[in-house]
Amino acid sequence: MGDLAGVWRNVIHWAPVDLPFQVRFSVLLYIAQEFRYSTYMPPVKPQSSMFGLLKRYYVFALLLAIATIVGNGLGLAVPKFISVGIDTFSKGESIATLFYIQFLILSVVIFVFTYFQGVFQTYLSEKAAYDIREELADKISRMTFARLEQETPAKLLTNLTSDIDAIKLFLSMGVATVISSVVVIIGAATLLLRIDWKLALAVLTVVPLVGVIFFVVFKKLGPLFKKTQEFIDSFNTIISESIIGSAIVRVFNSGKLEHVKFSTKNTAARNNGLEILKLFSLVIPAIGAISNVAALIILVLGGKYVINGTMSLGDFTAFNSYVFILIFPFIMLGFVSSIISRAQTSYNRIRAIIDLPEEADSGTVATEIQGDIEVRNATLTYGEKKVLDDVSFAIKAHTKTAIIGPTAAGKTQLLQVLMGLTALNSGEVRYDGHPLKDYSKQTLYSHVALVFQDSVLFNMSLKENIAFSSAVAEEHTQKAIEVAELHDFIHTLPQGLDSVVSERGTSLSGGQKQRIMLARALALNPQVILLDDFTARVDESTEKKILANIEKNYPDITIVSVTQKIRSVEHFDKIILLMEGEVVAQGTHLELTETSPEYAQIIESQKSTNTYEN
Amino acid sequence: MKTSYSLKDHIDDAPQRSFKSAFAKMKPLLIQEKKGIIIAFVAVIANAFFNLVGPLGIGYTIDTYIIPQDYQGVLIAGVVLLGIFIAAFISNYVQMRVMGGVAQRTLWQLRNDLFAKLQDLPLAFFNQNKAGDLISRVNSDTEKVNEFFSQGLMRFVGSVVMVGGAGIFIVAINWKLGAASLIPALFIVIFTQVVARWVGRVNKKSLTTSGLLSGEIQETIANFKVILAFNRRDYFKKRFAEVNGNNFKAAFRAGVANELFTPTFEWMGNIALVIVLGFGLYLIASGQLAIGILVSFVIYVTRFYDPLREMARLWATLQTALAAWDRIGIILHLTSDVAVIPAETLKHTGKGLLEFRQVSFGYPEGREVLHKVNFVFEKGKTYALVGPTGGGKTTTASLIARLYDPTSGEVFLDGKDIRSYDPKERAQKIGFILQEPFLFSGTIKDNLLYGLDAYATMTDAELSAVMEKFGFTSLVSRFEKGLDTPIGSSGMLSLGERQIIAFMRAVLREPELLILDEATANIDTITEKILDEILAKLPPTTTRVIIAHRLNTIANADDIFFVNGGEVKEAGSMEHAVEMLLHGKRAS
Repeated sequence: MGDLAGVWRNVIHWAPVDLPFQVRFSVLLYIAQEFRYSTYMPPVKPQSSMFGLLKRYYVFALLLAIATIVGNGLGLAVPKFISVGIDTFSKGESIATLFYIQFLILSVVIFVFTYFQGVFQTYLSEKAAYDIREELADKISRMTFARLEQETPAKLLTNLTSDIDAIKLFLSMGVATVISSVVVIIGAATLLLRIDWKLALAVLTVVPLVGVIFFVVFKKLGPLFKKTQEFIDSFNTIISESIIGSAIVRVFNSGKLEHVKFSTKNTAARNNGLEILKLFSLVIPAIGAISNVAALIILVLGGKYVINGTMSLGDFTAFNSYVFILIFPFIMLGFVSSIISRAQTSYNRIRAIIDLPEEADSGTVATEIQGDIEVRNATLTYGEKKVLDDVSFAIKAHTKTAIIGPTAAGKTQLLQVLMGLTALNSGEVRYDGHPLKDYSKQTLYSHVALVFQDSVLFNMSLKENIAFSSAVAEEHTQKAIEVAELHDFIHTLPQGLDSVVSERGTSLSGGQKQRIMLARALALNPQVILLDDFTARVDESTEKKILANIEKNYPDITIVSVTQKIRSVEHFDKIILLMEGEVVAQGTHLELTETSPEYAQIIESQKSTNTYEN
Repeated sequence: MKTSYSLKDHIDDAPQRSFKSAFAKMKPLLIQEKKGIIIAFVAVIANAFFNLVGPLGIGYTIDTYIIPQDYQGVLIAGVVLLGIFIAAFISNYVQMRVMGGVAQRTLWQLRNDLFAKLQDLPLAFFNQNKAGDLISRVNSDTEKVNEFFSQGLMRFVGSVVMVGGAGIFIVAINWKLGAASLIPALFIVIFTQVVARWVGRVNKKSLTTSGLLSGEIQETIANFKVILAFNRRDYFKKRFAEVNGNNFKAAFRAGVANELFTPTFEWMGNIALVIVLGFGLYLIASGQLAIGILVSFVIYVTRFYDPLREMARLWATLQTALAAWDRIGIILHLTSDVAVIPAETLKHTGKGLLEFRQVSFGYPEGREVLHKVNFVFEKGKTYALVGPTGGGKTTTASLIARLYDPTSGEVFLDGKDIRSYDPKERAQKIGFILQEPFLFSGTIKDNLLYGLDAYATMTDAELSAVMEKFGFTSLVSRFEKGLDTPIGSSGMLSLGERQIIAFMRAVLREPELLILDEATANIDTITEKILDEILAKLPPTTTRVIIAHRLNTIANADDIFFVNGGEVKEAGSMEHAVEMLLHGKRAS
């Protein structure tokens, strides 16, 4: 990376100097990224300086500093060696073998220190990234669901990936570059001034121009890089959509349409790339030109001094070396500053998460939940939309309750509230008379189970997926598998329960996935089970069997089932009709049939089922 | 057996690739840019030449003017050098500009080709490869090629020419000193060869672990509510700690290997300087070399070792780009197995609107889902497919829409073999509402009108008339901003709401055959009634194929088919279907 220790490389560069690839590429990337993140990441006010990180790893930071200073400092001696060699020779003296041995030893020492610098900076950056990730993951693992939703998963993902990468870059490259730039600029400038201060001043006025050019052009390039990133994002979205939606694209035969969408962005990205190229292909040769101007100054002015005898030929040679050694740090400093500012922003964002006040598990009630549920005046709003509006009802333990209502009535959110995942804006939920928030999480989660509507399968074995909670006993797992009617299916798998579920569970049918979700919940042997439309993808006969199984095997369980099908819940003790976040009616099937027109309407819409199945 | 589209079957992860295979792979794309490449190449050579002539000029100036104390000559040399420097500036600019243009255009072509191929490949390709994998592969591979093309390529070619040029200059000026100064380069070559395997291995490991890390992060954050509800925060932490730890170890090991290169190259460069100084001074003493030329030599050695190091550094980028290129190439080389077959070559004709004749189908590496299935669907009727989960209903529907071709047997649409249909025509005839509704980013309107040219230019008033005609008005009005409601990437709309949009989108196309695969599973029954009314309003010639668990949805079917155990059997009456569903065998 920023191996300024390798400055010897510029020993007597007379002809146009090229920026190392690494520099140019990194600059492009980081400026582009900085713009990219600043667009959708609100700035966070600084909590603490990132340099504080260095204190945490002071041993390695110190070692890194020493290796960098020694490596780069010694690097400055190389041109001096050559100059001494030439001068000694010019004076007609012979050069001792010791001189060469010293030179060789010097090169070995530089090698060792440069390598150490590399290893130290790798260790420092990787170790810090590891620690910050752990810290962040620990914090996230203690977040409530509401907090996570508020912080948004996408943002946390960015925190854990690119933000940490930015810090890593600062530690691996920024630190060493700053140190070595300072060492080299001060060292080389001093040596130049000592050799010949007039020539040194002449040259030193030209060299910093490199930094100026860099700064000016990149300021212009910034918006273009930002645009590039936007193009890349937008055609990556199109690619992703065409992959996830591959089936529908084929059904509609809209491949051409997608291609046109893509091609438009692709062309715009190319044209933008050519715009960047216009500026970019000027800046590199321009920097080369500046170094050449310096070279000419040295040749013409320095040549005069050598002819006058005020400067030795060796010093003349060394002069050139040092000038080109000097150019590099000016370029590096310009872009390290952008690395630092970006890393600081990232660090602030990460700190903002880590420093969030602890949402301690305030619950102390640890008594077993029997299953009496009471919801009082529950109101939940998302933005301006009321998802739940003054919802109240009570459910007795060991009874069965169905929540019925049209699409987007707030049913799923109600279950999440009952599960304690989502906090209400007002109102409360009580289990057995105790407010939900007074229960310890451990107690709540081991007595109340939620079967989610969408199937979430983890990339591990079926068994681990089902016995997901750590509170699960083996016998309960077996029972859950039987009840969820998974037994036959598992037997067809070559590896049975140990089969590993692939990403998104693509190898399983929708119904199989939902039955696994059910088994996962039942394996807790819960007192209360919340079902979120779990039979939507299970066929009727399986559904009936499963419901009967639950009633038979878990006689004391309290069931709260969100469902579309009245028929399967007719015999339930209570039916709650939810519409637009409000409880429209509640009671038994018979009561509602007689009192609620909305309910009657739903029955009507489902009637055909009855006539056929009776 | 069907063609395997799994990329795992195609990709070998050979860490090292030769130059030859690299250029062979790039050739078809680069050939279009022949002119630009030639110009750029000339500029590269010119630039290298001017860069290499400079140092010689310096050495010459020292020997001819400075040492003999001819200041006039120094000034003249300065002017000549100025000219050389200007020429170097121009050639450098041309090189960068032209080559950059070539790279941008080639990249554009590559991306376009790849995307066109993705559209051309059958659904099997997407089902046999994990979506997440595929997305990251396509996106990151094009990005890697991009990185190299827009940055590395120019640099790499420049370095190669510079190393070659400097090598030639060194040997040409003084072959003895030249050869001696190149000895450390030999060591570099050997060193690189020796450590290559090790470096490749640790870097691959590091890439894998960082992939696992981000995969783990994504999975857990996306499924956080489940982790919470089952009180498994420890699961997240434990799994994370493990992958994080592995990543740290692998990244550090890779760093230890990668950081070795720069110092080694530098070291060898310094050794070369010692050789030049020591051996050079000896040659001067014995009258075989002028002192100015020694100064030039010092520059040339730098000119040689500097780009050599850069070449090595770029070599890694080149390798990554080549591997990415290779993977893209594999996708580009796949061919669709559901191509259109000319009608003349297919001699059979079918009955009804749709006929399955002796159709068998199995997924690669899976059991047979359908076995010699026969049935006929008539125009204007409603058919229901029932059966247990995993029984083959969706597979049957997918074969109707020709998302796959049967392993054996034939599918006829309107009497003609479905394989002879132009995809456009087939898509017009067949509508398919998929189990998992997929909506494109944009608004509801964008999704409804997706690919429908006839409606694209309509005014809002005309559109709302169309919505009215189809009976969509009440459905659209339930969305906050009606047709202009934006569709978030996910989460904004409920599953039921997304199903409603997918339903409207399919109906609006007025297909002759409309397949509803659990299309209303998450929609409440009242809304479903509205959808039924909409379906009833479709032209009487429309054939409907309904897959559902809810029996009321299929109550109006003219015919019910029971799909299970590889068979598609006519169930006759609703009662019989219910009977089969309740007591029939489960998928085994």
